[in-house]
Amino acid sequence: MPIGNTQPSVRSASAGRAGGAAVTPAAHQGGARPRRTRGGLRAERYAPYVLVAPAVLIIVVLRLYPLLLGVNFSFTGDGAQNGTAVGFGNYRELFADPLFQTALRNVGLLVLLLPLAVAIPGLLATFIYLRVPGHRFYRSVYFFPAVLSPVIVGAIFNLLLAFDGPLNAVLSSVGVDPIDWLGDPGIAMFMVVGVHIWATFGMALVVFLAGFATLDAALLDAARVDGASLPQVVWHVIVPSLSRTIQFVFVTTMIGMLTSMFGLLYVMTSGGPEGSTYLPEFYIWKQQGQMNRPALASAASTILFMIMLVVGLLQIKLLERSGKED
Amino acid sequence: MRQRAIWSAVLVVSLALAGCGSASDSGKSTSSDGKLVVWDWKSGEPFAKSYLDKAKADFKKKHADVEVEFVAQPFDQYYTLLGAAIQSGKGPDVMLFNGGGQIRDRVDALVPITDYVAEDKQRLAGWDAFTKDGKVYAAPVTLQGYPIYYNKAIYQKASLDPASPATTWDKFVADCAAIARAGSKCFALGNKEGVGIQFWISSLGSTTLTAAEYDAWIAGKRDWNSANVKRLFQLWKEAGDKKMNSDGANSTAMFNDSFALFQSGKAAHVMGLMSDVGHWQDFNEFLTPEKLGVMKAPVITAGTTPSLPYDGGIGYAVAKWTKDPKMAAELVRSLSSAEALKAFYADAGAIAADTTIDVSQAGPAVATIVGELKSGKPALHVALSSKTIDLMGRLSQQLLSGSITVDEVVKQLAASDQAG
Repeated sequence: MPIGNTQPSVRSASAGRAGGAAVTPAAHQGGARPRRTRGGLRAERYAPYVLVAPAVLIIVVLRLYPLLLGVNFSFTGDGAQNGTAVGFGNYRELFADPLFQTALRNVGLLVLLLPLAVAIPGLLATFIYLRVPGHRFYRSVYFFPAVLSPVIVGAIFNLLLAFDGPLNAVLSSVGVDPIDWLGDPGIAMFMVVGVHIWATFGMALVVFLAGFATLDAALLDAARVDGASLPQVVWHVIVPSLSRTIQFVFVTTMIGMLTSMFGLLYVMTSGGPEGSTYLPEFYIWKQQGQMNRPALASAASTILFMIMLVVGLLQIKLLERSGKED
Repeated sequence: MRQRAIWSAVLVVSLALAGCGSASDSGKSTSSDGKLVVWDWKSGEPFAKSYLDKAKADFKKKHADVEVEFVAQPFDQYYTLLGAAIQSGKGPDVMLFNGGGQIRDRVDALVPITDYVAEDKQRLAGWDAFTKDGKVYAAPVTLQGYPIYYNKAIYQKASLDPASPATTWDKFVADCAAIARAGSKCFALGNKEGVGIQFWISSLGSTTLTAAEYDAWIAGKRDWNSANVKRLFQLWKEAGDKKMNSDGANSTAMFNDSFALFQSGKAAHVMGLMSDVGHWQDFNEFLTPEKLGVMKAPVITAGTTPSLPYDGGIGYAVAKWTKDPKMAAELVRSLSSAEALKAFYADAGAIAADTTIDVSQAGPAVATIVGELKSGKPALHVALSSKTIDLMGRLSQQLLSGSITVDEVVKQLAASDQAG
């Protein structure tokens, strides 16, 4: 292919915007065009498609096609009905299953707990930014859990939260009755979410610290000179300045909660007690692997995908809006 | 420069695609003349070596020219891989199965070996788990059952006679009160995954249900509203309410936290297994064979006789697509031969299907278990569908926490059992 010898084929891809200055003036001189060969023109026309082809192919073959297969599979039956179309049968069964309802309710709970999951790293990052004593030490310590795998974190907290574990021992030494942290359906989900926040807030903290790096120190000084208290500084100066960072952390934390709590659930509660800690992800795994219901699991996956799609679109919208504000 | 980038991109994509294509090819094994391929999840383990050597030697005596290849698959993906092989109608000649639902669901892909194994019928136990509609599909290798183990040292501490554990439920509850006074719990219970209830109904089933009810249950005619079935769940709830179980049962994993509680002497009894894990050989790590007892289920409903609940554990079956079913069946027989099973029992710590094996070396607990095999019956929970078992696990946790009634439990279980 004579692509290499023709005019810069990136021109059409980066048409006129940032690339405009980089294109050599010679390319725009009228005399240059007629001398080009017909093959060169064709190559120029196809070059962008060739260039994006690998990315498109990977997305289509490895993402979209399996996705469509999965959605298609969710409309077929399991077991004896394998391969036959059952319409919305799987979806009807899903929404009638109290376990799946619990899983969806728990998604709602995660959304409610989201502000907390964002506020914790935000506050801690603020303290580090304001250089509380020992801030260097805390900066590395806070990040440490983020490098541990969920299975290890789960195992550690399994020991700590066991009925005869250290936490209950401490409580009993001050006269409080032991609590079955992971065996009480009213508490277990909060414990798992709490451990998840503990294990992942380091990442959000780093994002916040990066946001702080762009903060105008003059604003803080001005606020102090005007006699603002710490809460006032946080609320009226830091939060507005970091709105984009906060939005970003909101969305990534939400996605993290919906898609990467499986390891913790598997190790800490196995979906129990009484099915109270089920999340859609765990439900999918259970139906597919343990109950031999792959088509039902596909239907649940499709619903989880829809939820993620909503979250993802929300993310794009938020980021676009904050971009405009700037 | 650009050209190079394009070509490398093309190369990466084509490599990626080629990689996907070839990944699905691995693990494929088709039989050719003079060779038999066996799939299992045991042959990769060190303890299985002498068992396989003995089995191969036995087969070599009959067919010296036939090569046997063992392919060990990971257990957590075993039935998925097997499902793919069955779908394509190509795969191993001989394959390992768990007894019960796992093999019965897949008999369409198997050859009945009833006539080939007729000679072994008497020597081996556990055939029922590999039988469907009167046809035998696999020869049992191990047996899996649910005996009640007890710690004789705790009995002594509580001034109870370790040689004669309770034979009735009332006496058993009284004994447990004495054990509680001595500072131990009655049962080591792990019900985090809802497995505790499965062992519970199977271990106590023979002395709670009448013989007729028991047989009807196994045959699939389960009356969930019968007083005795409800009794099983009432006792489960009572044991929880009376604090007979180890603390925090709903957050304790059965494998292996509850067994660890038993081994370390924190609880006097555990409903355990016969083979693989959570059994006599595992416990011997901390409890010497003299301290470990096996008791019959205490009588709950008057007029019942305790029997050991057990089924065939694992067994080898012959695939439909094999070229010479007779030869493959002879390999299955070699894999269940007396010498091979003896090695399996000794190295793997399993109760082998061959009841003629001398087990006197392994301590009194094993001797008791093997002695009860003759009168044993299939376990209650093995007869249930996996969906019902999953539901039962969650309901059992609710019973322990007191958020559901026994009547509601049997109602939900009956509905699930009829649907499945």
